[in-house]
Amino acid sequence: MSFLELRQVTKEYQLGKTTVRALRGLDLSIAQGEIVAIMGPSGSGKSTLMHILGALDVPTSGLAELEGTDLATLSESQLVTVRGQRIGFVFQTFNLIQTLSAQMNVELPMIFQKVPRRDRAQKATTLLERVGLGDRTHHKPNELSGGERQRVAVARALANDPEIILADEPTGNLDTESGASILDLLKTLSRNDGKTIILVTHDPEAAEIADRIVQLKDGAVRKEAGHV
Amino acid sequence: MFRDFFLLAARSIAHRKMRSWLTIIGVFIGITAVVALISIGLGLEKTINDQVSEVFGIDSFVISPEGTFGPGGGHGTDTFAIDLDEVRAIDGVQEAAAIRDETGFVEGLPDAEGDSVKGFLSVMGLSPELLTEFPSFVGEVELEEGGRQFTDADRYVTILGNEVAGRLNASLGSMIEIEGQPFEVVGVFVASEEDESEQRGMMSYDAGSGDDTVYVPYDVLLDLYGPAESVLVTLVRITDGADVDDVADRVETTLNEQGAEIMAITYSDISDMVGTMMSTISAFLAGIAGISLLVGAVGVMNTMFTSVLERTKEIGVMKAVGAKNSHVWIIFLTESGMMGLVGGAVGTILGLALSWGASALLSRVFGIDIAVVASASLIAITLLGSFGLGAIAGLWPARRASKLPVVDALRYE
Repeated sequence: MSFLELRQVTKEYQLGKTTVRALRGLDLSIAQGEIVAIMGPSGSGKSTLMHILGALDVPTSGLAELEGTDLATLSESQLVTVRGQRIGFVFQTFNLIQTLSAQMNVELPMIFQKVPRRDRAQKATTLLERVGLGDRTHHKPNELSGGERQRVAVARALANDPEIILADEPTGNLDTESGASILDLLKTLSRNDGKTIILVTHDPEAAEIADRIVQLKDGAVRKEAGHV
Repeated sequence: MFRDFFLLAARSIAHRKMRSWLTIIGVFIGITAVVALISIGLGLEKTINDQVSEVFGIDSFVISPEGTFGPGGGHGTDTFAIDLDEVRAIDGVQEAAAIRDETGFVEGLPDAEGDSVKGFLSVMGLSPELLTEFPSFVGEVELEEGGRQFTDADRYVTILGNEVAGRLNASLGSMIEIEGQPFEVVGVFVASEEDESEQRGMMSYDAGSGDDTVYVPYDVLLDLYGPAESVLVTLVRITDGADVDDVADRVETTLNEQGAEIMAITYSDISDMVGTMMSTISAFLAGIAGISLLVGAVGVMNTMFTSVLERTKEIGVMKAVGAKNSHVWIIFLTESGMMGLVGGAVGTILGLALSWGASALLSRVFGIDIAVVASASLIAITLLGSFGLGAIAGLWPARRASKLPVVDALRYE
């Protein structure tokens, strides 16, 4: 049994009157500590797959297991707990809360997990230092560069010590240099901290850091290839 | 954790300053109106009660023809004359005094040409005790120098209103005729100042100054006109330690059993009546002001819906990083509640300022002093109520925010 296991996963949703079959019997297993890049053209089901891997959504049919727990059997509030404690998200558009400082953005996931104020402030500061923003803790997102914002997002993803980091096009809105440093950061998290990193990306350079690349097409895995 | 949500909500309000303030203005206009009206209403009630209690004291009450204070107005005691001695004999009664009003034919002294003024005037019979025992009912009585008030022994003596004394060409010591009976003038009232604001006591029966009234001892009217058909009012003072409401009940029962149709009115009766009247008026006015509060609440709701729409993605992100539906719900509810609360705080301050201003204006222009009631409970209830108003207005938008599916919310651009 692997860490994350998808078997014959399908996902359908309604778009107006038409039923979109986003995933059509997808099989995938991911080991703990692995970096997996998920690639594929638009409409291949990358986002839908990420939603299911991130416990944001459940499959229409098939099995999605995280350490043997079928995510489809969990209630909405149990899914929230899984997301809050075991998964960290990094988005293409950073998705920081504009009204909050970097520090507070990193503290936010800990607030929802009821981490005591002092602990979480300390943790947030440590994490921001770790991503190289120790001197930017009180800046608002709009006072930070794109690369810095994505670093805050990475720090936020790490707030509750999740086992899995789900990064959706993390370099998509960054210049090459900032992108490379974010990828370095993610790589370190896997190598040094044993985090499982799932990278959804178009960017071949991003895929470079992956142990394995999974190519999607029409809602199923077209090809898997090892790397390095 | 609530403190954190409070902070999140505050940041969000502060971030959208313009819109938040406009929304808050909508709330505080309503709150201002409500607070001002309630505070003025309470103040008016307090002022009236204070005056009534000043007049009545805690040990006096009034016997009045039944219906005086009810619908239909007073119809007099008709055929029943209240015997003051009988009233005095009732357990708990210390003193009783009465005022009786008749219209009498009065003839003055001849002037230099030998003509005398005659005509019908208001002749008022006063118990001597009225002036000595119930000064607060009568108001301040001032006689011209040399004059005196009635005593128990007095019979055919009179005290004249200032104006009537002039008309009758009478002065201290002169004799005038009432219903053909000579009366000695023992006093003349000092001309009243035409100042309405000067409190003359609530029993200043003669709405004006009493300047054109002839006063005689109460008992004399019995000789002139027979048993009273027009006792204006009878005042009763209770003995020390007796309960005013008990004695009033007893007097009322005793006299009515003898065939009178009277009621005893105590301070608490009047106070209740004033209270009922004022709260009806206040409730009516506050209800009208409440309409503007409703409009304010709809404003809050509108702002919150806009906010939910704008922050759809933010809601998605919060849910992705572990926010439960209830967390989102509380954050939005706190936000709308806080707008209500700020509106309430500003409204309370403005409302109180407004009623102080109104009170000052009334006092300055009309010489009416109205207390402004700004009790801690009024303020607390207003603040709590305005937070509640905001929160209620935010219920629906907050619920919508909390129910947004996370995937859809994240995808929202």
